[in-house]
Amino acid sequence: MKTASRILGTALFLEGFEVQDAPRYGAERRGAPIFAYVRASREPINERGIIRQPHLIIVADETLVPVPAAGVLSGITKITTLLVHSFESPETWQERLNTPARILVLPAADTVEEREDIPFVGTACAGAAARLVGEISREFLIEAIHHELAHLSPDIVQKNTEKAMEAYDLMASHEGYIKEDGDFSGGAYEKPDWVDLPFEEARRSAPAIHAAATSVEVKTGLWRTMRPVIDFEHCNRCWWVCSTFCPDSAIELGEDGFPEIDYDHCKGCMICVAQCPAHAIEAVAEHKPKAHAAEGVES
Amino acid sequence: MNETKTAFKRMKDLPSTHLLGTGTPMCAGCGGLQAIHEIYDILGEKTVFVNAAGCMTLLSVYPFTPFRGSWLYTSMGSAPAGAQGVRDALDILIQKKRIDSRENLNVVVLTGDGAANGIGMSATSGAIERDLDFIYICYDNEGYGNTGQQYSSATPHAARTATSKGPRGFPGYKKDLFSIWASHKPTYVATVVGAEPVDLARKVEKSKKMKGPRMLIALSPCPTGWDFNPMEAVEIGKLAVRTGVWPLKEYADGKVVHTKIPGRRPPVEEYLKLQGRYAHLFRPDRNETLLREIQARVDAYWDGVE
Repeated sequence: MKTASRILGTALFLEGFEVQDAPRYGAERRGAPIFAYVRASREPINERGIIRQPHLIIVADETLVPVPAAGVLSGITKITTLLVHSFESPETWQERLNTPARILVLPAADTVEEREDIPFVGTACAGAAARLVGEISREFLIEAIHHELAHLSPDIVQKNTEKAMEAYDLMASHEGYIKEDGDFSGGAYEKPDWVDLPFEEARRSAPAIHAAATSVEVKTGLWRTMRPVIDFEHCNRCWWVCSTFCPDSAIELGEDGFPEIDYDHCKGCMICVAQCPAHAIEAVAEHKPKAHAAEGVES
Repeated sequence: MNETKTAFKRMKDLPSTHLLGTGTPMCAGCGGLQAIHEIYDILGEKTVFVNAAGCMTLLSVYPFTPFRGSWLYTSMGSAPAGAQGVRDALDILIQKKRIDSRENLNVVVLTGDGAANGIGMSATSGAIERDLDFIYICYDNEGYGNTGQQYSSATPHAARTATSKGPRGFPGYKKDLFSIWASHKPTYVATVVGAEPVDLARKVEKSKKMKGPRMLIALSPCPTGWDFNPMEAVEIGKLAVRTGVWPLKEYADGKVVHTKIPGRRPPVEEYLKLQGRYAHLFRPDRNETLLREIQARVDAYWDGVE
């Protein structure tokens, strides 16, 4: 997404805008949310820092929406357009989120073959954003992509460009949704409502945890894009190889000796799929387990 | 190792329920977390972790923890010093009968390779010298993984990291932490890997019964830092052992014993080629010089083991 923000920023710059683009990281690891901001104006920009009231929010991974740490809905207002890269329809998202924002969907790859396109989702998002802004021409978008991806091989750049232009064309009917408006001068700054926190006794306010393994409250199952599914007809109730190797303690044995996968916490690393001695665990695209189950495999 | 005394002879002897809680923020397919969950099952609940800054400090972010007991966060350089404080406090409390000796805890330092090989080395050396009664677990993913895999002094020769991106990768050589520890003549030192859980369990079982400074160095295949498909984490760990890159061994009573001597070692490149951090050794052209050098170093190591 950092690259997507740079592509969008560079394209706006080529169009003559003043631009800021900046990524914000937490931990640099897989599954951690990453944010990138683009701010553009015809006038010099004096504003700094994160964007508190975005006109456009792009969500490249729909599973981030319910993750509090990702905060994808923070600062959303009726001037906001929310573009979600998703399998679901805009109506479904409207119902789920009940937000005043306009919601658009950039359709996500639906088949396992199409999933090879996932690495290009960043440029697709940049392409969609370029069209929504309505101020970026096809030529400058391509130039920006080539500029930002100059370190990659020509065929990868080509593939990225195609994906970006596909998304650009897909958003044609929403061209110019995002308008340059709003007063962002210092004078228009509204102080946030301060919340006074009373001084507490150390015993009450000190960060002590008195329960064991509270991390189970964190549903890391949301990270998954692929789901391991055990075929119990072929599982030979071995020496719980899957359970020993699962880094996340997310596989335990049931009373009948069959392993059970804790889908609330399984992160989808698929080590169990690779290590099952009987090859009885299969990887299934996360949004299709029901269809898969209907084909005769229990989930 | 005395085979008759261990409770862990085969996979079936390993626990099928686990102490470490789910829901941690570690990457999917984390080889370090895999080793820690296997180690924790054998160490048991009566363990207090003293954790130097690194990936694993994200395990316990208030109010969430995967542990069943206490956890202390220290700076990268001072985990063994933290462990000294915890050990002393426990000893004093027991001595003054303020807690029952049954409430005693295993004091366990948990750090990455950056702290274990580099930043925390002097505190470690001092703790061994003082014969501190503790276990040190190093999850070795061969770089500063939590900040984007910059090289550490545990990074192997030729590996690409965020700070060694050239065509020959990291110019240095992996520090021999096992020998550095062994030269201090501590109670116990062992290398382990989550992909060999029976060997790991025996070593944890053995070290748990001992007193004094004990070290477990766990090779931790890192999908994010080493650039491989998370599902291959165990395969890569097994290959590290089979190709001879990661010797499984232990030190006790002044002697080093190899606990698993690979028979016919496949070429090291079987291990290297699964990892993006070595891709420059194969593409666009094979770097025969470096591949031969890496193989020769592994061969030379095993020539010395007999």
